[in-house]
Amino acid sequence: MRLKKYIAIAKISWMDSFVYRLNFIMWRVRSVLQLLAVYFLWVAIFKRGGTAFGYDQPMILTYILGTSILRSFVLGSRSVDAASEIAKGDLNNYLVKPVNYFANWLSRDLADKALNLIFVIGELIVLFYLLKPTVFIQNQPMQVLAFTIAGILAMLIYFFLSFLVSSVTFWYVEYSGWPLRFLSMVIIEFFSGGLFPLDILPPAAYNVVRLLPPAYFLFYPMQIYLGRLNAQQTAGTLAIMVVWVLILAELSQFVWRKGLKVYGAYGR
Amino acid sequence: MNWKKYLIFWFKTSGLSFQAVISTRGASAIFIAGKLIRFFFFIWFLIILEDRIEKVAGYTLSQLILFFLVFNVFDLFGQLFFRGIYWFREDVVSGNFDFNLIKPINPLVQILTVHTDFLDLPLFFIVIAVLGKYIVALPLINLFAFAVVSISGIILVTAFHIFVAALGVITTEVDHTIMIYRDLTTMARFPIDIYTDAIRAILTFVIPIALVFTFPAKALLALLSLKWILFSIIFSLVIFWLSLKLWHYALTQYSSASS
Repeated sequence: MRLKKYIAIAKISWMDSFVYRLNFIMWRVRSVLQLLAVYFLWVAIFKRGGTAFGYDQPMILTYILGTSILRSFVLGSRSVDAASEIAKGDLNNYLVKPVNYFANWLSRDLADKALNLIFVIGELIVLFYLLKPTVFIQNQPMQVLAFTIAGILAMLIYFFLSFLVSSVTFWYVEYSGWPLRFLSMVIIEFFSGGLFPLDILPPAAYNVVRLLPPAYFLFYPMQIYLGRLNAQQTAGTLAIMVVWVLILAELSQFVWRKGLKVYGAYGR
Repeated sequence: MNWKKYLIFWFKTSGLSFQAVISTRGASAIFIAGKLIRFFFFIWFLIILEDRIEKVAGYTLSQLILFFLVFNVFDLFGQLFFRGIYWFREDVVSGNFDFNLIKPINPLVQILTVHTDFLDLPLFFIVIAVLGKYIVALPLINLFAFAVVSISGIILVTAFHIFVAALGVITTEVDHTIMIYRDLTTMARFPIDIYTDAIRAILTFVIPIALVFTFPAKALLALLSLKWILFSIIFSLVIFWLSLKLWHYALTQYSSASS
């Protein structure tokens, strides 16, 4: 695989984001508002201090602010548009070029994630200055390293899962694959831990939810950052994440190959 | 204004929307399932939070659910009847908005109501049915206050959508603007009393989503004084007037580009 062309794709994607500046700014405004809505909810819940669900206020606010960084890196993605390309027949443009479709989208995703990450860090600095929240700073280098690795693995899990959802469009082109995307978004929104840490769920539900891929997008990386998992649990979590990456990578490639066989290039 | 003409327009476009829904039954079923799942997940979340919210703002679980149901009534109202706004950007960017302007029907009515979203209807019925069970035992005066505040809530929801349409013409940016409105409204899924004074003030006086989503629920629970009911009516009319002003200004800025 020639890395150079994918770096070029990432660069073009990066520049593309600045073409529609107002669009990008509005997207960032949305991200800040989504963060503030959840942040103020939890500030209200912990208004009188104390602990709830095993968290104190600094812990929960760190969790919420931390998930906003992770969200921009893990869930911020352009590859959702792959479904539309399949539905409209635009996939043809790639099939005749010497590019790997997965690598093409991963390059564009990485450019997008880098941009989002830069902006979310800037926004958080401003919010920290304005809101002055008390947060938990992790000072153990190993925990920070494990958190970083978990973030990268979470990004890969989401990328392959998202691709799998997009690939269903080969068989089901209605609304460019949007219905299944919408359903997956609803489930991911609730079970990734963006609104609340998953361990506040009743134990029976938590024991099921924590095994599913969405739990590894935001919840587990933040648990690692907050030091709520010991070394053994952290290693186990990272190992499970690697397994999910491998399973979903293989599955998405398999479905992709099957999909190409039924691809009719509708719209072209 | 010729109401008959507008009713025919609405029934005709709604009929077309309904045909689109039934012609893509599988997709429609998935959309409806997603909306129902989201609704019930949030009820579950409220149940989990019940104890803490009660300690903060003094609301019981049934009251929290009431607030959430009322939130859904007005949220779904906007999506059900004004879904057309979500497709408006394409018309502005492509210049197809020209076709709305030359028709003998108010272009604003066309934009907002051209697509009735029947996918929101099942949840809307569920919410209305559950809310109906809740409020049937309430005193008549509470229901009257709810009806009055609800009218101002509907006026405000309409005004918010007009603002978005106007900004769409001026900036050609609609998609994110309507979603910013949706993001802001999520704060009103809870009674705004749980938030700090500053946030409460913003949600009441600056971006008055509290008037749409929280005030009607408070009226039902007899927690809204006459002063606030009057404020709600006057403020909603002022905001509606401002939205129309902005819309008329926006029309002067439309460049008909690409047409």
